[in-house]
Amino acid sequence: MAMRWLSRLAAADAVPVFPVVGENGLAAAENLFLDPRLRPVPSPRHARVLLVLGETGQTLNRQLRRLHDQLSHPRATLWCDAVPDPDFGRATESSDTADAVVEAYRSMFAGAMDTEPDIHPNEPPNEWRGKGTNGQGGDGMMGGTPYGRPMAMTDDDLRDGLQLDAYSATFGPFLPAFPPGLALDITLQGDSIQAVSVSHPPFRQETDHSRTGSLRNLARLLRVLGVPALAARFIAAARKLEDGGTIDLDVLARAFDWSGAMHIIPSDLGSFGGEGRDVRSRVRAWLNIARGRQEPAPLGQPALSFVDLVKGLEWYEAVIVLNSFDNNALRNLCPVENTDDQTEEAPQ
Amino acid sequence: MIHTDLLFYALSTIAIVSGWRVFRTDSMVRASFLLMSSFIAVGLIMLLLAAPYIGIATVFMMAVEMMVMALFMVMFMMNPAGLNPMQMVHQHRLSIIAGIVAFAALALAILFSDLPQDPVAPGKPGVADLGFELLGNSMLIFETAGVTLLATMVGTVVLSSRSGRFGGADEGSRPPGLEPGGEPAGRKPEEKAGGDMHQCHGPGRQHSEKQQDGDEQ
Amino acid sequence: MSMLACVILLLLLIFGTLFAAILDTAIPAWIAGQSGANPLTTPFRRCAQFLAVQRLTTERPDMLNWLLAPAAYLILAGIGLGVVPLSEGLVFIDLQTGLVLWGACEALTVVVVFLHGWSANAPFPLIGAYRYVAIGLPAMLVSMFVVIGVALPAQSLSVSAAVEAQRGLWNIVKQPLGLPLFMLLGLSLTLRGPFDYADPFDLAAGTSAEDSGPLRASWRFARLAMLVSFSTMAATLFLGGHHGPGLPGPLWLALKAAGVMTILVALGHVIARTTPSRMLTLLWVLFLPLSFLDLIIAGVESLP
Repeated sequence: MAMRWLSRLAAADAVPVFPVVGENGLAAAENLFLDPRLRPVPSPRHARVLLVLGETGQTLNRQLRRLHDQLSHPRATLWCDAVPDPDFGRATESSDTADAVVEAYRSMFAGAMDTEPDIHPNEPPNEWRGKGTNGQGGDGMMGGTPYGRPMAMTDDDLRDGLQLDAYSATFGPFLPAFPPGLALDITLQGDSIQAVSVSHPPFRQETDHSRTGSLRNLARLLRVLGVPALAARFIAAARKLEDGGTIDLDVLARAFDWSGAMHIIPSDLGSFGGEGRDVRSRVRAWLNIARGRQEPAPLGQPALSFVDLVKGLEWYEAVIVLNSFDNNALRNLCPVENTDDQTEEAPQ
Repeated sequence: MIHTDLLFYALSTIAIVSGWRVFRTDSMVRASFLLMSSFIAVGLIMLLLAAPYIGIATVFMMAVEMMVMALFMVMFMMNPAGLNPMQMVHQHRLSIIAGIVAFAALALAILFSDLPQDPVAPGKPGVADLGFELLGNSMLIFETAGVTLLATMVGTVVLSSRSGRFGGADEGSRPPGLEPGGEPAGRKPEEKAGGDMHQCHGPGRQHSEKQQDGDEQ
Repeated sequence: MSMLACVILLLLLIFGTLFAAILDTAIPAWIAGQSGANPLTTPFRRCAQFLAVQRLTTERPDMLNWLLAPAAYLILAGIGLGVVPLSEGLVFIDLQTGLVLWGACEALTVVVVFLHGWSANAPFPLIGAYRYVAIGLPAMLVSMFVVIGVALPAQSLSVSAAVEAQRGLWNIVKQPLGLPLFMLLGLSLTLRGPFDYADPFDLAAGTSAEDSGPLRASWRFARLAMLVSFSTMAATLFLGGHHGPGLPGPLWLALKAAGVMTILVALGHVIARTTPSRMLTLLWVLFLPLSFLDLIIAGVESLP
């Protein structure tokens, strides 16, 4: 009885959605989440509905299936503008995505729709393997490699000589803080990046170099900087501009100043070398483009490779740098590497 | 008072049991925080002994210290969660003997010494007296101890940091020359071998991607 | 006496948490310019949604600490609230060294947040946890000096004496640097806004990344309870506590705490978060000397 009452109350809440953005889906996703009935969540564990917007491609199928299993029950998957995987979820029209999401969510709590079953078995991927009956007595004092994972060992360090334990993993391709589709093989020591390589470039998005594009880029950066409410305001302004309305840019610029976003970004971060090519100048350029004071210009020949840009940065700084490029520039920067089938599972 | 007695027994049990668990648990982070709970129990016992400042200050200090210790374990240790079935303790026989000897000595010392019997008068402003003592009779001791500790900490960081005065400390830094571009005064540091202490613990960073192959389910 | 204090504290905690949850929905909706969900019912619906879903675990978590961390966080918030005098002579935990107990609660909060991140055995929670420790500890230092500054005119380490010393003039007037610096700690203790290095978006919700189901409800409730506890403490130390004409003491305390809460939630949703190395520099190079300055001002003022 209490569970039923709890379910009824829960069904009235905003739907927590984990957005998986594919090709040309970013603008649609941002517009969708202006609806107060949906709220985007940063982690799949927090979500009830996995919403795929845009084509993600066959190469990332494995990661998508793993991601699906990370949602906790009750869960549903909806595919919008994409060919659905036959094993889970169902397609939905792009015109009423929000309604479909809300309806799926409510029917799960009403008991009308079952939660989607797991695709993969819920077991560790590697067996526990060690020497001896209880795994002790390995080489030296160590007892084998339980669950196939090597022991954390300290390693040489780039920055200040502090040799910390190194951790290597693939981050992405559906990490909300990254540009959609970007998957990086990163070796972290603590939270600073020691080695990085691109295993999947970001998806192509319809870039709009005009004012609305800059507003959306600024909103994405603000989201990363920890002010999602202001970011939502920028997205709402961008949509209003696209629909042909007029917005008051001075209010937005003032709000941007008050949040201190320009000052808190360290100067000379993510710099290509030379004056005026770091994160701050790119953000300033976006602001000027949004206000119509400047024409959008391409980024110019990068003096550094992508790896050199991100290597040695701390995680948060790296995320800021990645979000300070618009989609075209980032795709030009990323070396298109062959997708390595031996990469570890994405721990998003 | 019966309830203070019960409280004392409960806190002592917590202190002893968590202290024992520090040495029996394999997870080093858990060990740090079990040590912290042991200290917190002792700090609360001091509250019962009418020493409120020392009791709560013990809790405060131990929380910060064990936190830093746990952080260092995560940073540098090879097995901070105890998930790998390796032997986390060494020198069993020596430590058992040392433990028994220490316990016997301390127990004898407690049982055969005259513990004082002067209860504090209730309502005595203990904290104010402590303040007068700290900044009155014992000021020299505490202030010099504080400054010495600070100097030690600063010195440790300076010594262990990689940036030397004239360059990287691991590159054999040399001061600038007597003439521009010339040889520096004093002796030259000889070329020394690397001396990475961690070579004995097996190969360095292993790429976990290769190990995770074949995990298709 | 103690029973009455306990009841008032429980009421403060429950209604304060509810008020904080309402603010947490209403203020971002106002900033975003959207007429979002109804802020009065959203906290209940959100809580129901957390409780009605499954709790997943990761591969080899430290389950004991994962479940213990939100409970311990809540207990710390309760203890912090318990030291606050609700009116003349009405305190739940009447300790001579109440201010030091509050400091101990702050230090243990850092421990609890680290445990929450550590126990999930996943990369993002762990990064969030130790990043938070690196910044939470110096933030706590700043607040300790500010609290010592409050203890100076009171000539005692007990919170009741600190409130008594504000009978004539509130500490926010006598020590103007105190409350802003203390608010910084508030943002850090409750993992909000510019100090939210533990649960940030760039780490996919940081220490909460692997939480699901009822565990999320308990963690969120504990964070809001800590917000209530901190706001009440700030109101006690700097805004005169239960002093005020007309209304009874606890009611004044609640109103002042509500004001502090509103400011904190608003700051948390407006100010952007800087990089950890920059924040560390700011803390050690700017805020700590400011807290020394505040201590000097308090000391000079307390000279007879």
